[in-house]
Amino acid sequence: MEDKNTDLVIKNLRKSFGKNNVLNGIDFELKEGERVVVLGPSGSGKSTFLRCINWMEEPTAGDIILDGEKVTEKNVRKIRQNVGMVFQHFNLINNMTVMENLTLAPIKLRLMKRSVAEKRAMELLRHIGLTSKANSYPASLSGGQKQRIAIVRAMMLSPEVLLFDEPTSALDPESIGDVLSLIRELADRGMTIMIVTHEMSFAKEVATRIVFIDKGKIIEEGTPTEFFKNPKTPRVKEFLRKVL
Amino acid sequence: MNDFFSKIAELFSTPEYIDSLLHGFWLTIQISYFAILIGIILGTIIALIDTAKPSKWLAIPKFICRVYTTVIRGTPMALQLFIMFFVIFAFKGFPSIITAILAFGLNSAAYTAEVIRGGILSVDKGQTEAGLALGLSRMTVFMKIVAPQAIKNIIPALGNEIITVIKETAIVSMVGMYDLNMAAKDIGSGQNMASYIVPMFVAALFYLATIYLISFLVKRLEKSLRRSDLKAEE
Repeated sequence: MEDKNTDLVIKNLRKSFGKNNVLNGIDFELKEGERVVVLGPSGSGKSTFLRCINWMEEPTAGDIILDGEKVTEKNVRKIRQNVGMVFQHFNLINNMTVMENLTLAPIKLRLMKRSVAEKRAMELLRHIGLTSKANSYPASLSGGQKQRIAIVRAMMLSPEVLLFDEPTSALDPESIGDVLSLIRELADRGMTIMIVTHEMSFAKEVATRIVFIDKGKIIEEGTPTEFFKNPKTPRVKEFLRKVL
Repeated sequence: MNDFFSKIAELFSTPEYIDSLLHGFWLTIQISYFAILIGIILGTIIALIDTAKPSKWLAIPKFICRVYTTVIRGTPMALQLFIMFFVIFAFKGFPSIITAILAFGLNSAAYTAEVIRGGILSVDKGQTEAGLALGLSRMTVFMKIVAPQAIKNIIPALGNEIITVIKETAIVSMVGMYDLNMAAKDIGSGQNMASYIVPMFVAALFYLATIYLISFLVKRLEKSLRRSDLKAEE
């Protein structure tokens, strides 16, 4: 946390599932305060790319370096505490209340005392207007509520970077708005964010940089204006014609 | 019919018969109890090895577990019992009850392992990922997140396995052990009552009552586990 110039450097990242090469050499850098939206056709490897960053998928080859420290089997847990992740299907822990979901990691990792963790959890819940759900189980919550709780759960550890893996793809239109405005708020507060999404207008509005992945490689990147107004490659032109 | 009731009266009024029945019943309970215990402990270990993340030093244990469950589940229980009695523990003076407990325990472990493995695998992968992404250890993720959810899926099937073991122990009469099944046969034989129907009927009632009690307890446990789900939906 001392080094506020968060630097995530990814070199020649490759990932294969058996014979299926999903990522074919990705080079990428992320600086503090950047908000990178990863776009690409389905099956292009964008989710795998995101999941490799915190080793939810172990890379087949290549380096992931956070603040000068290479991610390995040994330090992966420490890295994960600094790189929060929000999943498409929320993944709230079903056998725990909302409060327990929020406080489990900080207490278990001995980062906070229970009382401190609970106080912080209540503050975050107040912020998203869900204090009344503190003692509810995930089964009783709507998708939008679950995802907002999943986001503040990731915030409990004050990570340097937050990864969002299609955070709104499993939500109804009304909840999408709630979740997006929470992400927007984090962005406004200077949070470093990487997000895989299909919400083009949100990408345009919130991103500082767009990265386009196709067939496991970054084939184009640039500011949202460049990307959406003057796409360079035919593949991106074709993609934009279809989605916009 | 009158004959039937008079035979029942005869059975219950002859202390030696009651004694034999209870003696046999006690052996059945002992073998079942310890076999189930071994089955659960060993079965849990096998299931944990089997579902653990693959790694270099687990490759051989995983292979052994696979072979073990395949062989045990692929051969008849009666044959396994014979092998234990007439091959592995064939030496004189080895207590037959221990041989029987091991035979049924090692058999049950293979089935229990499958039950527990299925329970663990039925927990959504996202639950594990949520814990890991927060920097928790695999151990913590298993103990706090996966195991409590897996138990709900395991209990009903485990209840089935317990019932199966209790009934299966009846084959120890094949190696001359005096369990409940054997007691019924003995009491019904020519030197005794010279009629099988009543002792076998009574033995059936003993088995039925035991299994009914077990099912009842398992149902109650299931219900109390499900209650936390209902609470979740309030």
